[in-house]
Amino acid sequence: MGRVAVSTVSKTYGEPGAVGSVMALDNVSFEIPDNRFCAILGHSGCGKTTLLNIAAGFEHATKGVVTVDGAPIREPGWQHTMIFQDYALFPWMSVAQNIAFGLEMKNISRPERDRVTRHHIELVGLQGFEHKLPHHLSGGMRQRVAIARALAVGPRVLLMDEPFAALDAQNRSLMQDELVHIWQREPKTVLLVTHSIDEAIKLADYIVVMTRRPGRVKSFIGVDLPRPRDEDGAAYAKLKRKLRMLIHEEISDDQ
Amino acid sequence: MGSRHVPSPQTGAVENPSGHVDPAECPAPTKQLAPHRTNPVLAWVVRVGTFLPNLALLGLVIAFWQFTSTIWLPHIDPQLAVLMPAPSTIVVTATAMIMSGELFYHLVASLKREATAFVFASAAVPIGVAMGWWRRAYNQMNPIIELLRPIPPLAWIPLSILWFGLGDEQNEFIIFLGMFFPILINTIVGVRNIEPNLVRAARSLGASERRVLIRIVLKGALPQIVTGIRVALGFGWMALVAAELVGANSGLGFLINDARSMLRTDIITVGMLTIGIVGLAIDATIRALTRRALPWSLGMAK
Repeated sequence: MGRVAVSTVSKTYGEPGAVGSVMALDNVSFEIPDNRFCAILGHSGCGKTTLLNIAAGFEHATKGVVTVDGAPIREPGWQHTMIFQDYALFPWMSVAQNIAFGLEMKNISRPERDRVTRHHIELVGLQGFEHKLPHHLSGGMRQRVAIARALAVGPRVLLMDEPFAALDAQNRSLMQDELVHIWQREPKTVLLVTHSIDEAIKLADYIVVMTRRPGRVKSFIGVDLPRPRDEDGAAYAKLKRKLRMLIHEEISDDQ
Repeated sequence: MGSRHVPSPQTGAVENPSGHVDPAECPAPTKQLAPHRTNPVLAWVVRVGTFLPNLALLGLVIAFWQFTSTIWLPHIDPQLAVLMPAPSTIVVTATAMIMSGELFYHLVASLKREATAFVFASAAVPIGVAMGWWRRAYNQMNPIIELLRPIPPLAWIPLSILWFGLGDEQNEFIIFLGMFFPILINTIVGVRNIEPNLVRAARSLGASERRVLIRIVLKGALPQIVTGIRVALGFGWMALVAAELVGANSGLGFLINDARSMLRTDIITVGMLTIGIVGLAIDATIRALTRRALPWSLGMAK
């Protein structure tokens, strides 16, 4: 369960047509089948984060709708939970308490909560850190907690907003591998926003390339490479060249 | 936070090099003393040893004061000496007042008023959360608050005497006024400054608005609220003494005003010192409680 459909979504900040109004998204449509990984690729300011915020229920589309399994998204909720670039861990809660928070909100019984929490701590490899507070953890570890916290509530779709952008190159690469690993163990529909071509190719089944503002779907590409993906392979390089060209067109358009 | 800038060469070299500090073992601000944690007596000795030199000027002032009161002033005019009791006289008077229970009696009366007023003033927390969270509540309440806030608590004394008569209620009302606004303003600021993504994350994990308010907003604003409480207790303590000067027959403010009519400058000074020391103690207690109860607030503020 977790088929995501973005249908004819437009978003305008301010009164449409009025002076000073900004059109962030223009008629965006695409569909992601269940348990597939989709990366939304584009320059900063192309409205990709806006799209994710609409899918999370934080913002409302001016036109169009995002549905999960046919049900339109109207407000935030655990079925379409979000992972943030700055992790957004609750600083007064330990790792385990952070992960258990969503379960508590779902009024799940204590023993079940503990069991699910423990399972997800193991899933992201944070055994031994259960009782640490977030500010004692490194960036990569914090993002692991955020991933575990989001997965623990059992969402239909996982939304990720540049989740590894705050990490250094080494850790980013490590966390990307780790995410693929987790995702393969527990498949889930994922919508990930990124501006990194490599990140998109490494992770995604589908790549949505967005145009500059207003954001439109420039290209919808299926990635059919076996995982783990070999960065030095010919197919990888070919796809990367293609994506780089698409993205570069967007830069020259602007100038 | 207090002693951080005091260099401690004895322990500096042993400081935890790993960077990862166990919060249970080591509350951040006393990090420099961490190696002595296993031996509390030794830790205490080190602390006193590093702090003692800071009291040199104070010692000098007291010595000069003693000289002025017992030798210099009597030499000019014996009557002047009454106006400035010597530190030795103050110690004698303080001892007598402690032994007789008089000082304790007035101190308890003052603390009771401070505590009662604080219970009422803590209503500022829910009001502040509402004002910080709902724009409409803020828009409606703010004009009232902004109008009342600049009026010093002491300006309420005449009206409050007419309302409550002289006595505890009137005193507590004045103290309440001194406490209310610092707590309110800090609560509003605390709520407004909460990381928006924390609220979003909670909503995204399925938390209802009520639970977001209690589990995230109130909790996230807590360090700022505690700061407000610290300021409020200080303000309240000042307002208390003023209120007692005018309308009370017990308490430290009453004590020093009553002693004035009998020209007992030594009692006045003992009362003033007590007010100062107790005010300091209240503040230090809150700070220590914060460190213990909200360790994450220190970690965030790095």
